[in-house]
Amino acid sequence: MKIGRKRKGKAEIPTSSMSDIAFLLIIFFMATTKFDVKEGIKLVLPQATEKQEGEVQSLTLTEKEMTRLQITGDGQIMVNKEAPRVIESGELDTLIQKKVKENQDMIFKVITDREAKYSEMVRVVDRLKAAKIEKISLSTN
Amino acid sequence: MAIIKTKKNREAVIPTSSMSDIAFLLLLFFMVSTVFVQEKKFWVERERWPIAESIERIPRNHTTTIYVMRDETILIDDVPTRIESAEDVFVSTTLVRKKTDDPDLVVCFRTDRETKYGVMSDVMRQLQDANTLVVAFETQQRKD
Repeated sequence: MKIGRKRKGKAEIPTSSMSDIAFLLIIFFMATTKFDVKEGIKLVLPQATEKQEGEVQSLTLTEKEMTRLQITGDGQIMVNKEAPRVIESGELDTLIQKKVKENQDMIFKVITDREAKYSEMVRVVDRLKAAKIEKISLSTN
Repeated sequence: MAIIKTKKNREAVIPTSSMSDIAFLLLLFFMVSTVFVQEKKFWVERERWPIAESIERIPRNHTTTIYVMRDETILIDDVPTRIESAEDVFVSTTLVRKKTDDPDLVVCFRTDRETKYGVMSDVMRQLQDANTLVVAFETQQRKD
């Protein structure tokens, strides 16, 4: 009597669904990935001055050399010694251009009230940056 | 008469054997580039940032972020602090350490647009004390 031997099947790992699994994982990572790019207004602050006698130089600048943009607590802007008023971004652009036309090396000093909103300062600095102004000074009162 | 042989139409097959290799390559890319941002207790949402037009991209590799909330809480290195007097120098001391580790440090501010400028001024003074002079105010891009 013949005893039938069982044929041994070749051992294989099924790989046909591998790409399905991989694509599922890709979709998950694509959906959850968020490229956190930092964007903003870049400035370089002046160095802190140590108050030592004879080392600190005081400089007096005239209106022809420096424009003061003073932001009040309620968001109004004083240009040099003018009365404070609400200045929209478009008007601010015109004003900056006018000042630059008067003096190419005009320094803009942004003086923000401690009670003023941070966004008001950013708005003014943004308009100055948009006008390619490099000499910007930040201070508070 | 010669017999004209008809060409057998072969079945069109798209090779899919390398599909999983491509998929895994893409998978590896996303796995490596993904950073899971954990929501912090103190978080200034993007919608709360000020809006600006003339913004520039800031390379991430030399940056540290300071969060300034509307209630004047400052968050640096996940540690909340406040500046109420001249003795509150946590920001300054932290930045001195960071500046030693990375001389090209850029300090990015993620500040709520409603925050009063006074607190920002105090923080910037401490930045000057720590000699970390390059700052960036993170803003949303104006959409119009």
